[in-house]
Amino acid sequence: MKIKELVNDLQDYYLLTLHGLRGIVARPFYFKDAVFQMDYAGAGSLLIVFIVDLFVGMALSLQLSAELSSLGMKMYIGMIVGISVVRELGPVVTALVFTGRVGAGMASELGSMVLGHQVDMIRVFGFDPVKKLVTPRIIGSLVMLPVLTVIGVAVSLVGGYYIAVFVGHQSGTVYWTSIRNILTLENVLAGAIKPFIFGVLISSICCYMGLSTKGGAIGLRRSTTMAVVLSIVMIIISDFLLTRVLLYLLGFSV
Amino acid sequence: MIVFDEVWFGYGERQILRGASFSIAFPERVAFLGGSGEGKTTILRLILGLIRPDSGKILVDGEDITGKSETELREVRMKFNIVFQEGALFDSLNVKENVAFCLREYTRMTEVEIDERVREILATVGVEQAIDLMPEELSGGMHRRVSLARSLALSTPKMFLYDEPTTGLDPINADNICRLMADLSKDGKGLIMVTHKVSDAMKVAGRFLFLKNGAVIFDGDGKALLGSEIPEIRFFATEGGFHGG
Repeated sequence: MKIKELVNDLQDYYLLTLHGLRGIVARPFYFKDAVFQMDYAGAGSLLIVFIVDLFVGMALSLQLSAELSSLGMKMYIGMIVGISVVRELGPVVTALVFTGRVGAGMASELGSMVLGHQVDMIRVFGFDPVKKLVTPRIIGSLVMLPVLTVIGVAVSLVGGYYIAVFVGHQSGTVYWTSIRNILTLENVLAGAIKPFIFGVLISSICCYMGLSTKGGAIGLRRSTTMAVVLSIVMIIISDFLLTRVLLYLLGFSV
Repeated sequence: MIVFDEVWFGYGERQILRGASFSIAFPERVAFLGGSGEGKTTILRLILGLIRPDSGKILVDGEDITGKSETELREVRMKFNIVFQEGALFDSLNVKENVAFCLREYTRMTEVEIDERVREILATVGVEQAIDLMPEELSGGMHRRVSLARSLALSTPKMFLYDEPTTGLDPINADNICRLMADLSKDGKGLIMVTHKVSDAMKVAGRFLFLKNGAVIFDGDGKALLGSEIPEIRFFATEGGFHGG
């Protein structure tokens, strides 16, 4: 019975995601809703992304300073911070922050709309709830997560610079030269593709969990928690798979 | 005409309706009575095609709606207006935007025309002063009135569906809502009201159906309801505080 339910859920999730993505190119378009979601997801998350990514960059730089100084290799801090942040930490950390703030909000908002019969009303009024509610959220995530990731990566690099120069007493010029050297097309692509995939994953999972809410306040808690947990797990798993595929496609040898 | 023919419906293991059968003509004023979880709201959702029965037929104007797609159901839903228990207003929109929701989508009205239309409908249901308020600032009675106004904005239906319209309201507000419901159905429009308050149902409806264990165990007028020998119905009638006066 559980396996049957799981298969049904996966099938429903798959259909919802396809339907939601199709809404991006098929009429009717809900531009206002999409812009509202972009504002909520993007502008609303800017501060928290800034803070988290700044400290991640600083912590990474600090760890590397401590380790590399004993080996006399502190000049590599910029390179290692750059590669780690651009390819891996920037996209993943920003996606995790996005899940906590935006994804949880999507699931709880839609869940509460289901319980309050607002989704029923949308259907009664003749709207397609997926196009009206899910597609704008997918667009919001698809557009704003990459933007936030770029900002997050830049902030992390600045945080790394601060520690490398003012705590590790390294040359700022060496740090930024290392960063510039690692900003190759391959490295940038290896990091830039991820937030688009993560954006679709987070928004579709959270919308699906929100729209599947049943059972009052406890049901809402369950669906919101599941939305965040599943999104985080899927970000980590898909990050590994994407890294494997991208390294292969971009010609990196492992 | 709405016809339920041996309709079965359940949520997972929990069976709600067990072969419910009845028919309601559009101009009728009907109240569904019964305890919590007996499937009263489920019946409204089935009529609108928001959920599908596990088995059985639901006919609206002679057409079986159980196999219809969302697009096909839109035409069926246009025949009804529904007011859910808590009003189901969109939290992020103020009263004006809630009422204008469908006008913006389905008409080419200008901003001035929308404003006029919204004020006119809000006046009809007696809450024109709440036009700029957000849903959380409304009282329970106002919530339901605005919800009703929103449903009326685009079209006038053949039948109104009310899900527990007076639950949680004080007696004065409940009475006002009952009057409003009766007024809106004056010109031959039908209504189906789902409630567990017999006294309110008596003010609005002329036919009563009592649900128990997923089936209709009583179908008759007010006099027959109050004179019923079925213990549950007698209990409901007296719990509602209505003694036929």
